[in-house]
Amino acid sequence: MVDPIPASHQPRARSNLTRGWPFLPAGVVLLVLFLLPMTVMVAFSLWRTNSDLDVVPDWTLDNYIYFFSEGTYVRTFLKTLIMAAAVTAAGIATALPFAYFLVRYVGQRWQRIVLLAVIVPFWTSYLLRAYAWQAILGEKGALNQFLMGIGLIDEPSRLFVYNDLSVWLVLLYVYFPFAALALYTALEKFDFNQLNAAQDLGARPDQAFRRILLPQIRPGVITACIFVFVPILGEFLTPTLVGGAQGALIANLIINFFRGLQYTTMAAFSFVIAGFVIVVLVIFRRYLRVEDVVARG
Amino acid sequence: MNDWYRDVSRRRFLQVSAVAGAAVALGGVAAACTTGASKKTGTFNWMTWSDHYYDTQLDEIKKAADIGTNISELADNAEGFAKLKEVTGQLDMLSGDALWVPKNFDEGLVEAFDINSLAVSKQLYSIAREFEIWTKPAGYLGYPFGWSPIQIAYNPKFVSPAPDSWEVLLDPKYKGRIVVENQPVEVVAYMAKLAGIKDPYNMTDAELAQAKEALLRLKPNILKFAQQNTDTVAALVSEEAWLATSNLGAEDRVKDAGGSDVVTFIPKEGTIGWMDAEMIVKGGKNHDLIMPFLELAEQKEYIAENFIRYGRPLFNEGAYKILVDKGEQERADRYLYNKPETVLTMTLKGPGVSTDAAIRVFNEVFGA
Repeated sequence: MVDPIPASHQPRARSNLTRGWPFLPAGVVLLVLFLLPMTVMVAFSLWRTNSDLDVVPDWTLDNYIYFFSEGTYVRTFLKTLIMAAAVTAAGIATALPFAYFLVRYVGQRWQRIVLLAVIVPFWTSYLLRAYAWQAILGEKGALNQFLMGIGLIDEPSRLFVYNDLSVWLVLLYVYFPFAALALYTALEKFDFNQLNAAQDLGARPDQAFRRILLPQIRPGVITACIFVFVPILGEFLTPTLVGGAQGALIANLIINFFRGLQYTTMAAFSFVIAGFVIVVLVIFRRYLRVEDVVARG
Repeated sequence: MNDWYRDVSRRRFLQVSAVAGAAVALGGVAAACTTGASKKTGTFNWMTWSDHYYDTQLDEIKKAADIGTNISELADNAEGFAKLKEVTGQLDMLSGDALWVPKNFDEGLVEAFDINSLAVSKQLYSIAREFEIWTKPAGYLGYPFGWSPIQIAYNPKFVSPAPDSWEVLLDPKYKGRIVVENQPVEVVAYMAKLAGIKDPYNMTDAELAQAKEALLRLKPNILKFAQQNTDTVAALVSEEAWLATSNLGAEDRVKDAGGSDVVTFIPKEGTIGWMDAEMIVKGGKNHDLIMPFLELAEQKEYIAENFIRYGRPLFNEGAYKILVDKGEQERADRYLYNKPETVLTMTLKGPGVSTDAAIRVFNEVFGA
């Protein structure tokens, strides 16, 4: 007689089931906090809002058609992508030397103190920090006072705030710690003797950097890029506070629909951004290692 | 070092979690049952703007009548409407402006009541008890509170000749010197007023095109969109902004904050305005507390003090008399407190059929 299910398979099946249990909380969280809201958002994005401000479940692509047919939204989305890329590039360019110096030349005790100093601004509210930049960059702000004090300008300049440059600067300030922490974690695991060895074997410093250091910290760099780039796609507070009438990013336009209870248009526009983010994450999924940022021995 | 966690098995952890969860759930049910009981003392949930009350007032009412308030901050009418739709009976009272009040009623979110059954309502200007938009066969839709037209405030050091029209906002002389509220539908409505459009919240396509034309001319003049009133005041005080749209009282708020003299005016084309009321939420769990609360909170002494603190006209005529006795008549009259009929000349804020189109116009102008 042949046993239809080999006995050896039964414990394994049970074992697989048991091994799956630890993933249940994460699965529930993913389902409740991500998949369900996304499903609702997709449904809303395909419905319409009537003149009574009620969401009506009439299936339509009008919201998406409006996004892609009205040049303003496509242009503003492109502007947002450029802004996010510019901040990310500047964030990496400033955070990498910072983290490199910290890991290579600063003692353990001081490393922790400096890292704490990087994190401290997070203890105050985002709003407060953005308002502080208004006070620094404004016409009667600290920067103008300083430049007039040293005689560089005769009268206050209006170039420092309420434009794209001020949005870029404040976003760089806000997201620098994300880049710095991700790169610090990656660099901390790197054995710097490898750089010396490479140079002993004839590599120039820039070659050693490109061919030895960079490939090994690449996951940290990618993580830093994603941690800076992705949230900026949804930024609306900083552009509102320091961007003035010229500094709007795509989220500012979306939030206007929210304020007007146009939830279906808002959902479609948000989903365009969310879809873009998902594509970015899928492309970089092999480099995305959250443990690079959170795990530290 | 306590190694208690080493002794806790997964099964034990789940058991403890389940018991704790059940206890929390039971507590919640018990609390819900308690709050659901009909009573005239307790705490009710009120979503309102921060200038509709002050702490001493609420403390005194709590002490006198044992009615407490659990207040959640209201950002704008749309938010209040959306929130109430979500939570319904979890709120008991909601503040709202002008045409948003009938909107909430039509959606079945708030209930009408007999305003004359409140003794304190006799202190109101009679006009405030008879607003057509708030009158339904079932009763009155809200307890009238305050009002204000939107004005233009300007710094005469930089703005001359003295303007009298919305047109001043489009003058290229004032490039990057104007602050307006971060409320797209309202900003489009201002431009509609400038274009002579009668009903800025219910515009036709042709009217929207006119408003957009004006908005395009306004754009280079905008310094920033104010998140809150204090942003406007700060910009006028620092003289970064020379012109701004604001509620009544901007000149005093700028002066109080150390700024120079600011002049305000109502544009000759007419203006937008708001008048707000307290609405009783249909099916609110603490519904029975609202009328006794209003009876106390709307007393003229409290309303007079509210005016002194927050400075804009209110509908309580009795409070005006107190203000006169307290030597505040000049300010009250300057703020049109004694002219409540002015509200009938304003275009009242409210949801309209062109809300979506107005936002689209705004975005198309201020996007990249």
